[in-house]
Amino acid sequence: MNLPILSAITFTPLVGALVVAALPSTHPGLIRRTSLAFSLLAWVMSLVLLAAFAFGNTPQLGPTPILVPTVLTPGVGAFVPTNFQFKEALDWIPNFGIQYKVGIDGLSILMVVLTTTLTWISILASFGPIKDRVKGYMISFLILEVGMIGVFIALDLFLFYIFWEIVLVPMYLIIGIWGGANRVYATMKFVLYTLVGSLLMLVAILATAFAYQVAHGSSWVGAFDFEHLQAFAAAGQFGDAFQNLAFLALFLAFAIKVPMFPFHTWLPDAHTEAPTAGSVILAGVLLKLGAYGLIRFAVPLYPHAAHTFAGPIIVLSIIAIVYGAIVSIVQPDLKRLVAYSSVSHMGFVTLGIFAFSATALQGAILQMINHGLITGGLFLLVGVVYERTHDRTIAKMGGLAAAMPLWATVFGFFILASAGLPGLSGFVGEFLVFVGSFGVAPVMAVASIIVMVLAAMYLLWMFQRVAFGTVSDFLKGLGGHLTDMDRTELVTLLPLGVMIVVLGLFPSLVLDLLRAPAQAFLAAAGVTVGG
Amino acid sequence: MSWSDLGTISPVVLAVLVAAAILIVDLAVPGRRDAVIVTALGGLGLVAVAILIQAGHSGSAFGGSYSLDNLTVFLDMLFVIIAALTILFAVDYLEPRGLPMAEFAAVLVFAVTGAMLVAGSTDLLLLFVALELMVLPGYMLAGFARNDPYSTEGAIKYFLLGSFSSAILLFGLAYVWGMTGTTRVDGVASALATAISHGSIQPGLAMGLAFMSTGVAFKMAAVPFHYWTPDAYQGSPTPVTAYLSVGPKVGAFAIALRLFVGALGPLKADWLPVVIVLAAATMTLGNLVAITQDNVKRMLAYSSIAHTGYILVGLAAYAGGQVSGLSAILFYGAAYTFMNMGAFAIVTALQRRPGVSSQIATFAGLGRRDPWLGALMALFLLSLTGIPPLAGFWAKAYVILAAIQAGGWLTALAVLAMINAAAAAFYYLRVVVYMYMREPAEETAPVSPGLLFRVGLAATGIGTLIFGLFPALVTAASNAANVFHV
Repeated sequence: MNLPILSAITFTPLVGALVVAALPSTHPGLIRRTSLAFSLLAWVMSLVLLAAFAFGNTPQLGPTPILVPTVLTPGVGAFVPTNFQFKEALDWIPNFGIQYKVGIDGLSILMVVLTTTLTWISILASFGPIKDRVKGYMISFLILEVGMIGVFIALDLFLFYIFWEIVLVPMYLIIGIWGGANRVYATMKFVLYTLVGSLLMLVAILATAFAYQVAHGSSWVGAFDFEHLQAFAAAGQFGDAFQNLAFLALFLAFAIKVPMFPFHTWLPDAHTEAPTAGSVILAGVLLKLGAYGLIRFAVPLYPHAAHTFAGPIIVLSIIAIVYGAIVSIVQPDLKRLVAYSSVSHMGFVTLGIFAFSATALQGAILQMINHGLITGGLFLLVGVVYERTHDRTIAKMGGLAAAMPLWATVFGFFILASAGLPGLSGFVGEFLVFVGSFGVAPVMAVASIIVMVLAAMYLLWMFQRVAFGTVSDFLKGLGGHLTDMDRTELVTLLPLGVMIVVLGLFPSLVLDLLRAPAQAFLAAAGVTVGG
Repeated sequence: MSWSDLGTISPVVLAVLVAAAILIVDLAVPGRRDAVIVTALGGLGLVAVAILIQAGHSGSAFGGSYSLDNLTVFLDMLFVIIAALTILFAVDYLEPRGLPMAEFAAVLVFAVTGAMLVAGSTDLLLLFVALELMVLPGYMLAGFARNDPYSTEGAIKYFLLGSFSSAILLFGLAYVWGMTGTTRVDGVASALATAISHGSIQPGLAMGLAFMSTGVAFKMAAVPFHYWTPDAYQGSPTPVTAYLSVGPKVGAFAIALRLFVGALGPLKADWLPVVIVLAAATMTLGNLVAITQDNVKRMLAYSSIAHTGYILVGLAAYAGGQVSGLSAILFYGAAYTFMNMGAFAIVTALQRRPGVSSQIATFAGLGRRDPWLGALMALFLLSLTGIPPLAGFWAKAYVILAAIQAGGWLTALAVLAMINAAAAAFYYLRVVVYMYMREPAEETAPVSPGLLFRVGLAATGIGTLIFGLFPALVTAASNAANVFHV
């Protein structure tokens, strides 16, 4: 099949943005529906892609996804080439061997589907709240989607960098124009943090390509091509000192995006000030860009450095998990609470990546998806309340279960999912990370699992204060404005809820897809897999 | 002089004739703006044709003091584009202020003639004369708004420091001539190569080198020789600022290419540390001071200092052994021309009505008031920041890549440049914040730029975008223009 379906999915939103740009801004309804149509089209195409994705076309290595004993042997490992599917390659800047090269494996396809799903949900969720400058908003959102999908499918480091930066501008505008009172501060902080990381990443990418070029008789061919570079790295061709520097640069860029402690301080501001849909995408997809970068590029290209720094990174992850949870307890603002809980949840992801075990990595990726679904849902639900009350202060709420029973039910469901209730997807991811990292760092793993208790505490306590008890005076003052969720809002939450249940009951749907990427990751990282 | 010499320098001759024709047309049909503009733009078009005819050819004139090669063609083309864009942007600014168009266009074309002569100079003396021909009209342009005290002040500062630096440069040239016995660029280079092979270089030559570096650094506005820049840029009429920020800057780098690379190439290991320090200081100080500016023109002036620093990274990469650093410089010059002139053009558009300041508050709500102007300004600023896929991104990427290839201290310089680029995002995006995230203090009517102005804006906008999406279009030319091989 030679249809360039990946490009079609990536650039459908761009076409949408151009079409929306041509529409008259006096018809906001038409602009909204057109944007939704294009994002739905991209979503449907990504589902078709998922269906067409050759699950079997992956090296079958282990009998089960849970591969128990993992031995850390830093340095050179066997090179298991990833079978990227639906590859497309075009020369872009032949002088430097820069290509437009895309392709997907099990990890990419999951992230692409997550992106397209959350995008149309976000656009639909913006129908009500965004009344000002609808056209610019929708254009920003569609271009944002182009960048996000592009990051997940790029197989050329330069192309990856470009998509990575394309994400930045629309999000800057979305927070800065349609955000809350302190939006300018929040959006500048977001941009500057991200830029410092990404520009250093650019230096590292260029240096990596240059190292490859030198080793290949000054030919730039393939110097930015991820598959070539991966083989080159697996052969142990990058020097240790070089790896350390390049890894640190990439790590910084990705760690800021994840965000890992202590680079997380932009996140609460950005989340709090962003419009609801902006928060959903920020938590649901943008944070995943960082984790994806670590899995796809940072570790496989610089395995030796990854091992060198794994210890400190695991410690930082644990700090993020514990710190995020503790700080969440005392947050007075609903969105800020969810934001800090993101820091905690994403800590599991980085822990899972740097535990270097198949189980932990699969858990980490599952956790990425779960976090996107659950936190995305929580932000949507907070947005529903905010639309009616124009306030997010927990102390002012109370008795919402009586006033908005449907909302409270759904909110309770997402709260439980976030707290890691078995049977829902949040539990599986964190559990796998725990199991997988226990063999590597037992003390750390136990510390992280204790946090699940803290998570239950801050989430349920918040839920209790918001939903139960008598209706607060503040809410009473709103009178008839405090209506329950409407149909549109329910539609935005339904797909997320369904996926949370399905993945909670049948995690193997995702884990099967991840077996091959996990094997390739571990092989590239130089970890021999036993069992 | 022979006819073939005249053929070799035909674009320069043609440019002089265009400048004269503008004055004659103004004399023949006084007060006819359109006739002047048609003459100027049409004449520049002819010059461009003459340059393009020369593309791919090489030769020299006047016994080797002027040489025609791909570098000359590339730079000449760039200068003509700069002149044409300046004229397109100037009409809307000069007319409401009652400033004469014909003098402006003629002086500008004279300046550009000087710049074109710089591009082709391979003789130290001709280089100096060409440089003066480039900068003297520049002083006049800076003081073009005679009745505006700021304009006069800026022009005087520009003139005093400019003449001073020219004198220093000339002093350095004299030393080099005295020590090597020749003013030909290739002669100097071979004399230096011989001197090096005999051991150390004489103190007199080192003095000459130091004076010349200082003189060129003044022209480029490299820190710590940048003090004239902010006042000259802020005081000048905005279209003139647009010109000054790219024309003489590219001209200064043309001198650097002909002089430092061509003549002083054998000494590059000696001037490498100087360029590294200059580059580091220039971009860091330029950026740090730009952050604190509330006047957009002044901010762009400091930003242009910072960009000088990035371009110097390319020169340092050359001195570090990477000849591709020079292609990067040329690419940077072309990209910077489009995005920076575009940014200044938007400032010009806002100042169409006399009395409008270039304070950042003027930009409040521009995105809503004038969606097109706002979007274009955002595009230029993002490009200046270095966001892909815009022209400014590739400019930075090529320079950085050359520095990384050169290795050693230059890698550290590349990292410093990137940290600087991140810091620069703050002040560029601050303008975007005002345009899109602030409401204007009072309701101002949208500006409606004239047709010529729109053409100029479209050209800069499309250039910024196309160079970004298809950088290979420019790299083909900038690589070909890189006539210096190790």
